[in-house]
Amino acid sequence: MTPERFHTIVEAYGADPRRWPEQERAAAQAWAAAHRAEADAALAESASVDAWLACDEVAPPDRSLQQRIVAGAPARRAPWFRHRMWWSGAALAGVGLTGGLAGALAVSFFLLAGATSPVHDSSYLTTGFGGSTADWSGE
Amino acid sequence: MSERDPDAELVARVGTQDPVAVRTLVARKLPRLLALATRMLGDRMEAEDVAQEAFVRIWKQAPSWREGEARFDTWLHRVALNLCYDRLRGQREEPVAEMPDQADPAASPEVQFENRARDEQIRVALAALPARQREALVLNYYQELSNIEAAALMGITVDALESLLARARRNLRAQLAGSGFREDKS
Repeated sequence: MTPERFHTIVEAYGADPRRWPEQERAAAQAWAAAHRAEADAALAESASVDAWLACDEVAPPDRSLQQRIVAGAPARRAPWFRHRMWWSGAALAGVGLTGGLAGALAVSFFLLAGATSPVHDSSYLTTGFGGSTADWSGE
Repeated sequence: MSERDPDAELVARVGTQDPVAVRTLVARKLPRLLALATRMLGDRMEAEDVAQEAFVRIWKQAPSWREGEARFDTWLHRVALNLCYDRLRGQREEPVAEMPDQADPAASPEVQFENRARDEQIRVALAALPARQREALVLNYYQELSNIEAAALMGITVDALESLLARARRNLRAQLAGSGFREDKS
């Protein structure tokens, strides 16, 4: 540790050795102990600025700021919500399926109900061997 | 930097949108972030805006954050400083003298008045420093970053950082002498 380096350290980092560069701290303290008068003069000058800097305090963040910031974070859906969504989706699909089946049943019912009887088949669909019994009614 | 990043595990959880991790990270980082921005900008409201913007960057970055490239705290300081410089450029670095009062309700009115006057002097003096000197002082003294971390963050050598710190302290001492501030006041 040279005198120049000691003064550079104190001028840059202040009088508190805890703020000095870790790798040079022990050497600087040893130099100060060995050159008390010179070191004390430099430390006293820096200590006044340290005391002044230490007075500056910033108020902690208020609750509303914290809440605004947390509210801005992308939120993962809670498990209960995801389960509910799963069941809701399944229920919706079930309702859709039921409706589809009911519709299909209704359509098939009406098709069957509205279908013409073989008795009334058009003549062009019958053959000479398959005529309706109504044709024989007169015999 | 072989040490494990102390924030890495928490940031990974934030990346998975864990609400507990989100609240923990806000509680851990917001006070330091707000202090940094308040001292850099000299304006509480602007500092709160910077803090909010910085957290928006965190929410975006967290899912892809990879440990080992940079310490999370260093990255966060860089983000906050960039946001501060964006605003300082907008302000043309005019110091803002008006600060919200943070009076100690337990102190007598006379003491409160003296404290407010002293706090005001300090804030005005810090705001009057050239931005790079203020940045060096805030990072090293108030944010308690090591000289190596602060220099890396500012993109300068440790020698250059020490030069900025020494000049900042000389400027403050000159203002201190001019303002009649006495260190043994309290």
